[in-house]
Amino acid sequence: MNNERIAFDAIVVGAGLAGSAAAMVMARGGLKVALIERGQKPGGKNYFGGAIYTHAIADLVPDYMDRRPPFERPVTEAGFWFLGKDGLTRMTVQGGELNAQPADAFITLRANFDLWWAEQAQAAGAFLIPKTAVVDFIREDNGQAGAVIGVITDRPQGEVYAPVVIICEGVNNILTQKLGLINRDLEPAQMALAFKKVISLPMETINARFGLADDAHGLAVSVLGDVSLGLPGMGFVYTNKASVSIGLGVMLDTLAEYRLRPYDILQRYLDHPAIAPLIKGGQLLEYGGHLIPEGGYRAMPKLCTDGAMVAGDAAAMVNALHWEGTNMAIIAGKLAGETALEAHSRGDFTAKVMSRYEDRLSEGFILKDLRQYRGFSRFLETHPQFMDVYPNFVNGALGQFFTAYGKPKKELFKGMLGSLTNQRGLAKAAGDMVAMARSVMGW
Amino acid sequence: MTTRRFWVFLEQELGHVHPVSWELLGVARVLASQVAEEAAAAGDEVVVEGVLLGHQVRAIAEMAIGYGADRVYLMDDPVLEHYRNCPFYMGIEAIATKYEPEVFLIGATTLGRDLAGAIATSLGTGLTADCTKLEMGDVKGASQKLLLATRPAFGGNIMATIVCRRHRPQMSSVRPRVFPAPAYDPEARGEIVEESLDVTEEGARACILEFIHAKEDTVDIEYSDVIVSGGRGLGGPDGFALIKELADAMGGVVGSSRPCVDAGWISYAHQVGQSGKTVRPKVYVAAGISGALQHKVGMQNSDFIIAINNDPNAPIFEVADVGIIGDLYEVIPAMIKEIKARKEAQA
Amino acid sequence: MFHALVAIKQVPDTTNIRIDPVTGNLVREGVPAIMNPYDAHALAAAVEWKRKLNGRVTVVSMGPNSFITTIREAIELGADRGILVSDRKFAGADTLATSYVLAEVIRAIHEQDPLDLIFFGKQAIDGDTAQVGPGVAVRLDMPIVTYAVAIRAVDLDDATVVVERKTERWTEVVETPLPALLTCEKDIAEIPFAPLPDLIRSLRYEPEVWTMDGPITFDTEMIGVRGSPTIVYQMGTPPLPEPGEKISAREEGIEAALAFTFKKAQEAGVLQTMIGGAQ
Ligand SMILES: Cc1cc2nc3c(=O)[nH]c(=O)nc-3n(C[C@H](O)[C@H](O)[C@H](O)COP(=O)(O)OP(=O)(O)OC[C@H]3O[C@@H](n4cnc5c(N)ncnc54)[C@H](O)[C@@H]3O)c2cc1C
Ligand SMILES: Cc1cc2nc3c(=O)[nH]c(=O)nc-3n(C[C@H](O)[C@H](O)[C@H](O)COP(=O)(O)OP(=O)(O)OC[C@H]3O[C@@H](n4cnc5c(N)ncnc54)[C@H](O)[C@@H]3O)c2cc1C
Ligand SMILES: Nc1ncnc2c1ncn2[C@@H]1O[C@H](COP(=O)(O)O)[C@@H](O)[C@H]1O
Repeated sequence: MNNERIAFDAIVVGAGLAGSAAAMVMARGGLKVALIERGQKPGGKNYFGGAIYTHAIADLVPDYMDRRPPFERPVTEAGFWFLGKDGLTRMTVQGGELNAQPADAFITLRANFDLWWAEQAQAAGAFLIPKTAVVDFIREDNGQAGAVIGVITDRPQGEVYAPVVIICEGVNNILTQKLGLINRDLEPAQMALAFKKVISLPMETINARFGLADDAHGLAVSVLGDVSLGLPGMGFVYTNKASVSIGLGVMLDTLAEYRLRPYDILQRYLDHPAIAPLIKGGQLLEYGGHLIPEGGYRAMPKLCTDGAMVAGDAAAMVNALHWEGTNMAIIAGKLAGETALEAHSRGDFTAKVMSRYEDRLSEGFILKDLRQYRGFSRFLETHPQFMDVYPNFVNGALGQFFTAYGKPKKELFKGMLGSLTNQRGLAKAAGDMVAMARSVMGW
Repeated sequence: MTTRRFWVFLEQELGHVHPVSWELLGVARVLASQVAEEAAAAGDEVVVEGVLLGHQVRAIAEMAIGYGADRVYLMDDPVLEHYRNCPFYMGIEAIATKYEPEVFLIGATTLGRDLAGAIATSLGTGLTADCTKLEMGDVKGASQKLLLATRPAFGGNIMATIVCRRHRPQMSSVRPRVFPAPAYDPEARGEIVEESLDVTEEGARACILEFIHAKEDTVDIEYSDVIVSGGRGLGGPDGFALIKELADAMGGVVGSSRPCVDAGWISYAHQVGQSGKTVRPKVYVAAGISGALQHKVGMQNSDFIIAINNDPNAPIFEVADVGIIGDLYEVIPAMIKEIKARKEAQA
Repeated sequence: MFHALVAIKQVPDTTNIRIDPVTGNLVREGVPAIMNPYDAHALAAAVEWKRKLNGRVTVVSMGPNSFITTIREAIELGADRGILVSDRKFAGADTLATSYVLAEVIRAIHEQDPLDLIFFGKQAIDGDTAQVGPGVAVRLDMPIVTYAVAIRAVDLDDATVVVERKTERWTEVVETPLPALLTCEKDIAEIPFAPLPDLIRSLRYEPEVWTMDGPITFDTEMIGVRGSPTIVYQMGTPPLPEPGEKISAREEGIEAALAFTFKKAQEAGVLQTMIGGAQ
C-alpha cells in the first residue's frame, strides 16, 4: 500500500453549484484542486425546483451555450398562481424581459445540471473525487482549534491535505458546525422542507396544458394559497421538456407542530381540482425532498476561519421569496475561489486573508439581498393569511367578477369586499400589504 | 424423408426427476404439433425425444415415455452419477451431433442453466434463456417454421421474441412452472436408445467432495398448491406473521414480492417473480402487492388469484380473478376467521 | 504468482428502468449504469485471494467506450490491470459471440501471463442469461464451477481449487484443477469500501483498449451480429390479461367481499383448496 500523503493546493467539499464554481475558479488560477463529492456522481441526489439563472453561469462560463448545458426549457413565463379551495387564479408574465436571448433563467434537473457543471470544473483542471464523503478536518498541530490543513474522508486511508478548504456541503451543514462557524443546527423555523415530484408527460401534452408554444417556451410559477393547508409555505410548478416538476415547500417547524407528513400534503396539492388535470395521466419519474435554509441573513454562519471558507446553502445563502439559491451558491463559490487564489499568491491562509471573501460578498448582490430580505421568513410565519385568506379572496372575487348574476354590480363588489373584510378587517388587510412590502424591501 | 426432432433434456438428480422435464415434454409436443401439417406435406417425420444422463436411471426414461416422449436417448454411466458440467455437456454434445435435433429445450434450473450455455457453445448454436412463451411460427425468408422464443427483456418491461435462423438446434431454456405438466399416460409406447459416454472420471475434471444440506427453511414454493404472498404494503417484517397465519389456515406457503426480500423482511426463497420463482398454484393470494410486471410474470399463470390492495387502481387487479379493495390488515384476519369457520363446519 | 482474471460487464441498473407510458418505449435516460452486481462480488473474491496469495488481478470487459467507468471501478476495488475490448464490429453480439471474443482475449492474456482462476458473475442482470461463463469455459476447454458461493482453498502447487457451489437442492463442495473458471453468486465475497488511494488511482487509470486492429485478431465470422445465431425478431409489451372482478371491502363491507371471494372460488373449483382441504 502506498503511504504517500494525498495533497492538493485546495479542497472543495461538495460538487454542487457552489463547489464546482469554486473548483473551476481555482483550477483556472492554476491550483491543484480536489473536488470531493459524496454522491456517485455530482448532482445524483441534489434536488431543487427549479430554474437556474444564467447571469451566474455566464459569469463563470461565458460561452456556456456552446457547451451544451442540459437545460430543459427557458423560462418564458413566470409569476404566481393563487389556489383557492377549488379554483385557480393565474398571475403570470411573459414577453419583455422574459424574451431575452439566451433567457435569464432555464429550467433544469439537478442530476443533469450538476454533472455538467462539475464537468466544467473538471475541464478547467479540477480533480473530482466522487463516492467519498468528508467527515472531518485535519487541523494544524493535530489540535481542535488550529488552522484547517486538510480533510478526513469516510474511506480507509482517507486523509487529503491542502492549505485551504472551501466548504460547499449544502444545507446539512455538519462540517460548518464541526468547524465552529455556527454553533447549532439551523432551527426548524429557519428551514423549509421542499418536496416534489417529477411527472413525465409527452412534450405536446405539456405545451397544450400549460399554453406553451413549443419546447422553447417554459413556465415557472410559485403557487400560493390552498397548497399547504394554509400553513406558511409555497408551491411551485416548472415545465421540463417532457416532464413537470411540481412540489412545495413548508416550514419545518410547522410540519412538526401539526404532525403532517410531507407526502400527504404534496398529494393533497396534486389532487387539487385545478392542479390534477395538469398532470393527469403522467407517470411519476421521481419523488424527493430537500431542505432549504430559509433563515436568511440571521441564520448565516461565520463565513471563514483559518484555512477554510463556507459557501452556498451551507452558509444559508438563499432568498426564499425569489427562489434564489443557485445563483447565490455559484457566485459565492466563485468569490471563495478567488479568495483562495489570493491566499495562495500571498502564501497566507489565515482568517485575515480569508475574510476578503466576506468583503467580496458585500460588494455584490448576495449579502445586500440577504440583508434586505432578512425579515421575510418571519413574515410568512406571522402572516398566515397570505396562505389562505388572500388567495381565496382573489379566486372568489375574480370568479364573481366574471359571472353574470343579474344583480347590480355595485352590490356585487360590496359583497366581494365583504367576504374579505369578514375574514380580515380592511385596515388589517392594508397592514398586511405594508408588512409584506416591508419584508421584501428590507425596511 | 427427414426426421424433425424436438428434444427435451430430462433433468434428474440421484434419481429424482425435476418436474420441469415433464413440463417441457408437454410443450415439445405442442411445438411438434404446430409443424405437423408442414411436415406431412414434405413427407417428414416429427418426433419428441428425451435426453437422459445419469447412473441407473432407466426407470426415468420409461416415465418420460408416459409423459409424451416418442424416444429417449439414455446415457447411463457411473461418471454421470452426480451432475458435473464437463461429462454432461460432452455426452450431450456427442448425442446431439449424431442426431441433429431441430429444437432443444432445457429447464432453466441451476443445473439446466449450468449445462445449457455449455452445450450451446459446444454446438455453436443460439440459446434463448428463460422463455415464457414458445411457438413454431413462420418467419419471413425461412423455408420451415422456426422456434419463436419469447422472453422478458430489460428488466421484464418488454417481451422480446428471439429466433435462431440458421443454426441448429434452436435452443431454449424454460423456467419451471411456466408451462403445465401433461397428464401421464401409462399406455404410451416409445423407444429407449442407449448411448455410451466417452468421458472418463479424469475427464470429468471435477470431484465433488461433499454435499451440504441446508438447515434453514428451504421452502419450495414452486410446486405448492396455495401461496399467500405479501408485499411492501405489509409495511414491515412483522406483517409476514399475518401472511403466515393465512397461509397456514389455507394449507399453503408464504410468498413475497421483491422489495420485502431486498429489505430483509423474508428470505429470497420466498420471492415470486421474474428474479424469483415462477409459480402456478391453484390459489394465489397477493396482499399489499401493487402488481408490477416483474411480479406478475411470476404468478399470472396461477389458477385462481385473489388480490387484496387498498388502492383501487393497483395493477395487480388486472390479473386477479377476485380483487378485494381494502386494508389487508382488516381483510386478512376476517378471511382467516372465515376459513377456520368453514373448515370446522366441514369437520 | 497468483493471477486471476475477472470478466465484468456494465449494465443498466434495472431497478431503475422505466417505460414510457405513452410510447411504450424504454426510458434509458437517466438510468444509471453500474457494474453487474454479481461481477462486483466476483471481483471482490478475486482481490481477496490476490491479497492472500500475493498476486494480480486483471479485469476484462467487452462493450462500448462508456464501459471505461466500470473498468475504473474495478481498479478502485483492487484490480491491477483493466482491458476494454471495444470495437463497432462487436456490436450486436449475442451470448455466443460474446463468449467467443472474451475467450480469445482471455486466451491471449493467459499466454502472456498464465491465469489460475477466471471469475465470472453468475449472470448479468440486464439479460439474466447466465450463458457467457459456461460458453467461455467450453471454448477455453477449462473446468467450470457455476454458482460459486465460497472458495475454500486455492493450492497453487497442486494446481487445484476447492469451491462451494449452491444448487437448488444443496451445496456441493467441488475440487477442480487449475486453471478453472468460476461463475459467482453474491455470497462469494463482500464488496469492500476501497481506500482513498485506490479510488484516486482508479480515477487516473487509463484502461488498455483492444480492438479489431489489435493486439490480437478475431475471426470476423464469429463476432458481432454475424457471429450471433440468435436475433431479436420482435419486441413488445406483454399483453394484458382479462381483468377479474373487484369488490370494495370499504364500501360493501368485509363480509360481503369475502362472501363474493368464496363464491368465485367455488365457481373456479378451488374452494376446497382454499380452505385447506383436499380437492
Ligand atoms: C425544492 C427546491 C427548489 C428550489 N428552487 C430553486 C430555484 O428555482 N432557483 C434557485 O436558484 N434555487 C432554488 N433552490 C435552492 C438551491 O437549490 C440551493 O440554494 C443550491 O442548490 C445550493 O447549492 P450548494 O452548492 O450550496 O449546495 P448543494 O447543491 O446542496 O450541493 C452540496 C453538495 O455537497 C455534497 N456534500 C454534502 N456533504 C458532503 C460531504 N461531507 N462530503 C462530500 N460531499 C458532500 C452533496 O452531495 C452535494 O452534491 C431550491 C431548493 C429546493 C430544495
Ligand atoms: C429486473 C427486475 C426484476 C424484478 N424482479 C422482481 C421479482 O422477481 N419479484 C417482484 O415482486 N418484483 C420484482 N421486481 C420489482 C418490481 O418492479 C416491483 O418494484 C415490486 O414487485 C413491487 O413490490 P410491491 O408490490 O410489494 O410494492 P409496491 O409497489 O410498493 O406496492 C405496495 C402495494 O401495497 C398496497 N398497500 C399498502 N398498504 C396496504 C394495506 N394496508 N392494505 C392493502 N394494500 C396495501 C399499495 O396500494 C401498493 O399497491 C423486479 C424489478 C426489476 C427491475
Ligand atoms: N460484455 C461482457 N464483458 C465482460 N464480461 C461479460 C460480458 N457479458 C457477460 N460477461 C460475463 O458473463 C457473466 C454472465 O453474463 P450473461 O451470460 O450475459 O448473464 C457476467 O456476469 C460477466 O461476468
